[in-house]
Amino acid sequence: MTDSFCGYAGDRDQALVACVYEDGGEAGEQALFEEHLATCARCRNELAALRGVRAQLARWAPPEPAFSVIDGSGQSARRNPATQWWREIPAWAQVAAALLFLGVSAGIANLDVRYDANGLSVRTGWMPPAAGAGAGSQTAAGVAADGAAAPWRADLTALERQLKEEFRTMQASSRSQTTPASPQMIRSTTPDADVLRRVRAIVDESEKRQQRELALRVAEVMRDVNAQRRTDLVNIDRMLGFVQDKVGVEVMKDRQRLDLLYRASQRQ
Amino acid sequence: MPWTDEELVAKSIGGDADSFNELVLRWERPIYALAYRTIGREEDARDVCQETFLRAFRALPGFRGQAKFSSWLYRIALNLCRDWVRRERRTPVVQPPEDMDLIEMAAAAEPSESIEDLVARKDLTRLVERAMALLPEEQRTAIVLKEYHGLTFQEIADLVGCPLSTVKTRLYQGLTVLRRELARNNKAKP
Repeated sequence: MTDSFCGYAGDRDQALVACVYEDGGEAGEQALFEEHLATCARCRNELAALRGVRAQLARWAPPEPAFSVIDGSGQSARRNPATQWWREIPAWAQVAAALLFLGVSAGIANLDVRYDANGLSVRTGWMPPAAGAGAGSQTAAGVAADGAAAPWRADLTALERQLKEEFRTMQASSRSQTTPASPQMIRSTTPDADVLRRVRAIVDESEKRQQRELALRVAEVMRDVNAQRRTDLVNIDRMLGFVQDKVGVEVMKDRQRLDLLYRASQRQ
Repeated sequence: MPWTDEELVAKSIGGDADSFNELVLRWERPIYALAYRTIGREEDARDVCQETFLRAFRALPGFRGQAKFSSWLYRIALNLCRDWVRRERRTPVVQPPEDMDLIEMAAAAEPSESIEDLVARKDLTRLVERAMALLPEEQRTAIVLKEYHGLTFQEIADLVGCPLSTVKTRLYQGLTVLRRELARNNKAKP
């Protein structure tokens, strides 16, 4: 605390603010105040303190918001940062990821899809087939043996034929167009490594984030526990003091009473 | 070469919605930060930010370019903040963000920053928020505009519609209160 006298002739507060923000008004006025600063400890101290406040203010950042965008009609749509990265991944990669997910899920669920004379059957889980252990292998052998007679073979052939036909049509139409393949199409044929790298990066990032979060929480909990412990100790200390005082007063009173009794008994 | 604000405004007035979106992307962060530091509630600051751009979009045809686009936008946002304070009929309370601010902070922080530093930074943020909440609205607005948006005294004066000397006085008074409060809180810290 500096109570020394300041004899600055102008408006001191405004000059200080202008100096703190280096957003001076007239050059002459500023020079005058700077001259004054050289001789006035009070102003120097206050200037330093206000700069200190600015340094602390500089560390206050608002939380990251989930921003919104406004579409052409002036309507706003909230952009969710958690889902944004999905939009950057091309649609084919999303489909591939979905298929991969389905495949893995099917594997985990031990999905068994059959199409035979009895029609389509889907079975999940790790239970053995109900019709006995040997029946399954026998069926498989049977299918292999009279494969030609199986109804799905005809369907498969038809499907194959249809696909070939569609493929031929597509080739013909692409040949008829003379424009070369766009860079996007070329890019879309070199997919997997890129997706994998991205997914790996996302997973790594998430892992790091979780680790940091955990560490942060632990640090916060430890700090809270320490603060609470300190408060409890102070409280206990205060209570002990209070109890001791009270006990001391009681003891003193007892002693006085005993003295009184002793003296009274002596007199008798 | 990116378009200037004025060019984007002109294109938006001509019906190019993408240009307006570009303006939103450019200014949403500063406007949100202004709203958050003025009213102190994350959710409400987001609403104010959104409302600012909606109003700006509707009023765009009337924007004649007398002021900078950013100043115009700031004025809309500040008016909305003032309305919010009036509507709520209470002194704005700067709160820590509602959801998982620690995680955001941890994610936003540099990996080299230690946990102790993170916690210390969080503590300081709380102290500043608490101290800012004690300021009257005019002082807080002046400090936010000067400190975090780098406006000149004259720009602030134009924006809030008061003489330049009043802006300086508000800043001085605000900084003095903050100095006292921060010093007291720092002392009170175990």
